[in-house]
Amino acid sequence: MDWTRYRSSTWDELVASDGQPRPAARPLLDYLSSLSRHELNERQLAADVTARVMGITFTVYSEGRNVDRTLPFDLIPRVIERREWERTAAGLRQRMRALNLFIGDIYGEQKIVNDNVFPRELLTESVNFRPQCVGVKPPLGVWAHICGSDLVRDADGTLYALEDNLRIPSGVSYMIENRMVAKRVFPELFDTSAILPVDNYPTQLYDTLAALSPRPGDTPVIALLTPGIFNSAYFEHCYLAQSMGIELVEGGDLFVGDDDICYMRTVYGPKRVDVIYRRVDDMFLDPEVFHPDSVLGVRGLLRSWRAGKVALANAPGAGVADDKVVFTYVPKMIKYYLGEEPILPNVPSYLCHDAKDRAYVLAHLDELVVKPANESGGYGMLIGPRSTKREREKFRRLIEADPRNYMAQPTLSLSTAPILGAKEPEPRHLDLRPFILSREDVFVTTGGLTRVAMQKGSLVVNSSQGGGAKDTWVVDLEEAA
Amino acid sequence: MLSRVADNLYWFSRYVRRAENMARLLDVNGQIQLDLPRGAHIAWRPLVNTLGAGAEFERLHGADTPTEVDVVHFLLVEPDNPVSLRNVVNHARETLRTVRETLPQDCWVAINDLHLYIESNPERAGSRRHRPEFLGRIIDGCMHVSALLTSNVSRDTGYQFLRLGTAIEQADMTSRIIDTAAAGLIQARSDDDAEAFQAMQWMGVLRSLAAYQMYRRQLRQKVSVELALEFLLKNREFPRSVLFCLSRIQGILPQMPPRKQVEQVFRGAMGLVFDANPSRLAAVGPCAFVDRLQQELSALHGAVHESYFQA
Repeated sequence: MDWTRYRSSTWDELVASDGQPRPAARPLLDYLSSLSRHELNERQLAADVTARVMGITFTVYSEGRNVDRTLPFDLIPRVIERREWERTAAGLRQRMRALNLFIGDIYGEQKIVNDNVFPRELLTESVNFRPQCVGVKPPLGVWAHICGSDLVRDADGTLYALEDNLRIPSGVSYMIENRMVAKRVFPELFDTSAILPVDNYPTQLYDTLAALSPRPGDTPVIALLTPGIFNSAYFEHCYLAQSMGIELVEGGDLFVGDDDICYMRTVYGPKRVDVIYRRVDDMFLDPEVFHPDSVLGVRGLLRSWRAGKVALANAPGAGVADDKVVFTYVPKMIKYYLGEEPILPNVPSYLCHDAKDRAYVLAHLDELVVKPANESGGYGMLIGPRSTKREREKFRRLIEADPRNYMAQPTLSLSTAPILGAKEPEPRHLDLRPFILSREDVFVTTGGLTRVAMQKGSLVVNSSQGGGAKDTWVVDLEEAA
Repeated sequence: MLSRVADNLYWFSRYVRRAENMARLLDVNGQIQLDLPRGAHIAWRPLVNTLGAGAEFERLHGADTPTEVDVVHFLLVEPDNPVSLRNVVNHARETLRTVRETLPQDCWVAINDLHLYIESNPERAGSRRHRPEFLGRIIDGCMHVSALLTSNVSRDTGYQFLRLGTAIEQADMTSRIIDTAAAGLIQARSDDDAEAFQAMQWMGVLRSLAAYQMYRRQLRQKVSVELALEFLLKNREFPRSVLFCLSRIQGILPQMPPRKQVEQVFRGAMGLVFDANPSRLAAVGPCAFVDRLQQELSALHGAVHESYFQA
């Protein structure tokens, strides 16, 4: 494969602007250069077949049926140098500590509001604030036990936090399975570099969940609550339950008794559940409190949780900090709660509820990315430089009608990495989603899930919109030397 | 063990065993067809009823006498036939999907692989030249899953539901395959022929249940209706005989949470097979007996369903 002509219009993760490999990627690129096009194609095919046979899928609704799609997997890994990763991980741990303190504070004394660091009106207008959670003190003071933060790199090489997914982040199973596929089709590659493993996540997750049990000392009964087979992340729910050896349950498998204890229906009769890793959204969790017609949840579950009889991860209401407007306050939270300077910078943001920022946003719609506060999956966004006049007018009206719900960011020129193109390696934009687990200490995955826009020039990496994935290597240069 | 999971494990093993038996049955009938003299042929249509898809078949094909290709295509790969082998494998896969985390990853890979093979080669089912390979691949795929279950699954309660499903399904399929011969598998030209084809037909039944070799080894006699029925219904050593399957269930029940209703229905089924008289059945024809046996097995399924899955 010929790399001499490979150039990116922005920062590239593997190749510097002069066409030379970055130090951590050099052994990889040397190796790839030694392979013929035919050999590479063969391996890409083997990777696709492996992914299909392993059933690494996500589910998409199409014409009333659910269709399994495999997540497109690109063979060429993304490489991160270990020292850079350690700095990034420290930044993520710091963010998570601050975010958990924030959520606890919001449902407790609201000191950050009373001290005028966080505006009260943002809270009262937040769709993710759950009054039912006020006054609850979950175990260890942790609300968001599992977080998936999206990181992006700009043209100058700076790595920014783009958002923190604190509700029900998904994708971690792809991170683990991508590594398995990569090892299977490219075993030689693992000799070229000191690549840190990623497979301890399920063990860490299990420990995180077990630490929440209301019956410490005894082996806890832990269940993963899934909305069921039609959910797009069902594969992941199975995968995680299986890797941890915990029960995979649906709403109908659980009930809450008059004693406020949560039970599962088993062939022996009811059995108490201590911890639930719920992959069901807040609003569907308990028809007694939230959507009354939800069949995905469990009647009385909130009652059981408030009584401390069952632990829920993430805690209901944790999403209050998962909001693109609240996100902009994370650097302030870090200073306020921890007295530290943020290690990992936020993507610069403009808040439309602020009159000055709003005027700027409205005047620069053609340059900015505008996002609603609460959508996920890349829906409902305006990408200014690629928008039509009509789309910009639509967003102008939307913002003026509901400024609290919108924020804008400069159009970052997301970094790229090479994918296996039809003839040559071609640059594609990507991001990175590490996963962060919080219990007494905070654990960060080694690297994370690299999502890549498979379309040339596209900035949208979401799997629901044609994104793919790459294996992510954190490489130790010192050990290799 | 969640009730829902037990339910799915039970059905998963039933579907896998059903797919394997269907593949064997169609494979053997295709082979017999090749041995028949001109003018005699396999009556394919009764197979459709035996496998419980008569109404669906008529809806798609009308009441005319169908060709071999019509029936084989319908039973193996017709997407609109809810009990086609293709759909049975789909059901197995969908059932396992919902309880994937309870079985070793390999099982999922194996069933998924089988599913993908059928989905990408359905045209092979119709062709006489490719069908044996197609069916061989399916039998191998099912046996692979069974081997993974036997070798790699812990003997917990979930495993007992897998075994229970396999045993009930095999007893059921054995009774259905006996029924195919009883219904007259080969259409002969004359009564003389019919006599000659009788043995061929029952050899075919034994072969469909992978029982022919074991039958010869154990009985050292040529195939007769009476002995074939004796072997398939009441043999204590051959694992696909009805009695063997029921004895296996007898061993499974004490390892599960005790339920009076299940035990009671089970005793009924066991008694029926125990009291069966093969020489009499050979004389009057086994159809009525097979009907009763299927009712008993269906009642046993109903009792298991109510006692363990609907709690």
